[in-house]
Amino acid sequence: MKTLRQRLHNTTTANLWLLAGLLVALLPHLLRIPLIISAAASVLLGWRLGYELHYLRLPPRLWRWLLALLAAIIIYSSFHSLVGRQAGVALLVLMLGLKLLEMNGPRDFSVTCYLGFFLISTVFLFTQSILTGLFMLLATTLLLTALVAQYRGTEYHDTQHISESMNLRKAALIVAQALPLTVLLFVLFPRIPGPLWQLPNDRSGAKTGISDSMSPGMISQLSNDNSVAFRVRFASEPPPPAQLYWRGPVLTVFDGRTWFNPDHKKPWSKVSTRSRYQALNAAISYTVTLEPHQQRWLFALDLPAMLPADSILSPDYEIIARHNVEQLRRYDMQSYPYYALAQTEAPPERPYLQLPTGVGPQARVLARAMLAQAGSKAAMVKRVLQYFRQQPFYYTRQPPLLLGDPIDEFLFNSRRGYCEHYAASFVFLMRAAGIPARVVTGYRGGEMNPLSDYFIVRQSDAHAWTEVWLAGKGWLRVDPTTVIPVSRIENQLDRLRIAPDGISNVSLSWAHQAWRQLGFNWDLVNRAWNQWIINYNNRRQQDFLQKIMARFGFADIDWQTMILTMLLSLFAILAGYAWWLLRRSEMKHRKDPVQRYYTNYCHKLDRSGLARQVAEGAWDFAQRAQQRFPEHSKAIVEIAGLYNRLRYAPWPRKEDVHRLQKAVRCFPNRIKYPQALQE
Amino acid sequence: MATPHSNPSSHRRILNWRIRHWPEPLRLTSLGFGRFFYGQGPEPGPITLTSKRVYILPTRMGLSYALLLLILLLSAINYNNNLTYALTFLLTSIGFLTMLHSYRNLLHLQINIGNPAAVFCGEYAQVPIRLENRLQPSSDAISLQIPGQPAVTVRIVELQPLQTVIPMHTTQRGLHAIPRVRISSVFPLGLFRVWAHAEQLRYQLVYPAPDPHAARPQQTSYQATLSGDRGRGADDFAGLRSYHPGDSLRHIHWKAVARSEALYTKEFGGDRCEELWLNWDQLPQLDNEARLSRLTRWVLDAHRTQLRYGLRLPGTCLKLASGAEHQQRCLKALALFDQQPNDPMP
Repeated sequence: MKTLRQRLHNTTTANLWLLAGLLVALLPHLLRIPLIISAAASVLLGWRLGYELHYLRLPPRLWRWLLALLAAIIIYSSFHSLVGRQAGVALLVLMLGLKLLEMNGPRDFSVTCYLGFFLISTVFLFTQSILTGLFMLLATTLLLTALVAQYRGTEYHDTQHISESMNLRKAALIVAQALPLTVLLFVLFPRIPGPLWQLPNDRSGAKTGISDSMSPGMISQLSNDNSVAFRVRFASEPPPPAQLYWRGPVLTVFDGRTWFNPDHKKPWSKVSTRSRYQALNAAISYTVTLEPHQQRWLFALDLPAMLPADSILSPDYEIIARHNVEQLRRYDMQSYPYYALAQTEAPPERPYLQLPTGVGPQARVLARAMLAQAGSKAAMVKRVLQYFRQQPFYYTRQPPLLLGDPIDEFLFNSRRGYCEHYAASFVFLMRAAGIPARVVTGYRGGEMNPLSDYFIVRQSDAHAWTEVWLAGKGWLRVDPTTVIPVSRIENQLDRLRIAPDGISNVSLSWAHQAWRQLGFNWDLVNRAWNQWIINYNNRRQQDFLQKIMARFGFADIDWQTMILTMLLSLFAILAGYAWWLLRRSEMKHRKDPVQRYYTNYCHKLDRSGLARQVAEGAWDFAQRAQQRFPEHSKAIVEIAGLYNRLRYAPWPRKEDVHRLQKAVRCFPNRIKYPQALQE
Repeated sequence: MATPHSNPSSHRRILNWRIRHWPEPLRLTSLGFGRFFYGQGPEPGPITLTSKRVYILPTRMGLSYALLLLILLLSAINYNNNLTYALTFLLTSIGFLTMLHSYRNLLHLQINIGNPAAVFCGEYAQVPIRLENRLQPSSDAISLQIPGQPAVTVRIVELQPLQTVIPMHTTQRGLHAIPRVRISSVFPLGLFRVWAHAEQLRYQLVYPAPDPHAARPQQTSYQATLSGDRGRGADDFAGLRSYHPGDSLRHIHWKAVARSEALYTKEFGGDRCEELWLNWDQLPQLDNEARLSRLTRWVLDAHRTQLRYGLRLPGTCLKLASGAEHQQRCLKALALFDQQPNDPMP
């Protein structure tokens, strides 16, 4: 039985580098694609590794065909398609795995590496974060190392030692040298807006963030996802925190368990755009940078005053984009935080009074009693809010599961829940009392990054509130969660978030503070990355280049100039590299600074008209130089002395090297002949 | 420097043979492409690969790489994905840089080809070659090859001259100019092939292949002369002669050394000393090459059995003798039989 060390010794290291590179490139996919495909890819990768270590044999051709067929079946059964982003990636992953089983010879090897590079590009279709970028840079370097190892080869006729770190260093060197060129191309390569061809609509992307339905009581734990939903930068003074309601999907229909909106199922163009709104005061302007969430919502403050490109406003004032937001999207917005709807607006005929039959009988009784007590519909709203405040309702992130009737169970029994529970039961009570009402979901608040001037809105800021329609006032926002007294909010951070206008008596530990501070720093880096790397599009490129050109006195830059500039600087940099890499310079001089400095000094004297003879000693040369240039006699003697000491002293001193360097540097480049000597 | 076209001397034979059969428009040498395809022609001294003589072209995998870059670029544009753009540009830059790295791998390499030892036809000649690079840290995965022959891959490390041999299969007896050696490499990423040609005035002597069916020569002659058996051997003591440098120590007459100051070597006579004439005319039934092949076999056998032998070829006669030097002389005569008299001799 061979030990692992022996097995490693007998293997082709290029193949191991390749497997390592592919594994790194695959990791982000393995966590995303269906488990069965991840497992299959791992098995294929492991099979090749087993072969490389002489544990396993590769399957014969027939087997490989059968495996390919099996792979296609698995993918089709998982995605019901072989094209599209998800299915395409799965197909690529499995085909790459199968390629590993038949890879033989340098051509196959190169092709597999190229497939690896392509695989890396598909990772970016799903995430473009900094860490992904760095991780994929590592994968690229590993694949390049594999290529270097492959083409360096191991079969030398004499046994010269080739270490693996040599291959890695060579690849890393090439990558490092390529980076300046990459930056140049990245900045100057003209960005072409828009897709070249229609992308297949991919419905299977993993959606994140706010969903378009809500089932309070079904999920017993609010996710504590701290990732960024979007970032906002206000053009002027931001509105107070109590006004920061970022409107998302509006839910109108309740089926007894779940709140949803049937309009969301309709295709984009079918959504009716019949909506009217009027504002009272001036709009505030801001820019939203929305993280991709694979859904169509665009978020804006209540109420949006304009629409971003390629989007519409639904009757419920939702902004709906034409395509799923699959990439970071940046849009300018204006909103009216203080709005009032037209008084002439007729009472809504849409199902804002709909209630499922047989659900919440006690709640209906309560609503009718309250309405009778309150007298008017406006007073009814206040009465219900008072009910939530006075009765022992608690805000908690871990509410009990509501097994029975979700409305009655919450209102009269558990009385513990988060925003969804309060919004749902509030709308239920309103509708039971004959007041049109709807649930609005979205985000509330946001956190100012104290290191910069923008707000971070996180997934944990997700919120649900309500709107009621009152005659003469139109739709009014009511957030029943905010009426819960601070003492009945369990979590410290929730107190900070939910309580109106913030609470100062909430104190955080220093560790928490430090962690938050670190988080703000990291977010700043992420934002810069988003702004300058991910979102460097056609428009930003124009802006950036115009700014730079303006500094050099050029008025405008069109794309022809851009391409010309790019090509010229590309060739300039390449010429620089060519000079640097292909120059003739004696290796021993490069390695030996003493010789280099002394040669430099000899060149200087040569330029002054005194050439050193072949095989002339340093002292002899110095004597001749002294006669010729007596005014530099001191420096000449010093340099000769240092050179001789460094060369021939039994223990040359290190500081002498620096003194020699300094003396040579100070020596004049070209000595003007004294007039007398010249004649 | 002789261009192959203007001065078709014998060392260009192989090359000219190749070109001669091409129709005139295809003789690229006449268009000035000669150096590109066939190298410079032979040169006397060590050859340094300057930028004028190192060529570079993308390999087939290099073209595939370009295709990959195109696909990546299209994907980046279509998905408007800036990290895919970045990957595309990184790989593009790496492609450009690899061109320089490949080129530098061969640049400033110094090559000196040596004269190989004589071999029998059908064997692999071992052409010695010395490589050195004093201007670059290392040259990796350098493939040395005489076109049409197996390649040798070497690595030249900074300041360390490398001595190696490259194989050349021989198919014809005679004295052959060593064709140009191709020095090429696809290091580091296999995207570009750089190559250069080196040709020096070096010759390979190829003896005829010994005939495997080694029939004995028809007659051996045994000649006893009046002065007795003058054949030298190891059996019978024949007398003493004064010592010559190079005589075996075993044959020194040590007793005489002990007695006097002079050194004497004991001479022995063979009990049967054969003298053998290997004669071209003995083999009338064979064609020329087969005759030479048979004679080669006989020379080898005669040498092995320590005969005194002579060789008679039309126009040449090598007298009876023995020893390694005689053998080489005979083999050389066989190798060069009927070759053009103006063949240069090394």
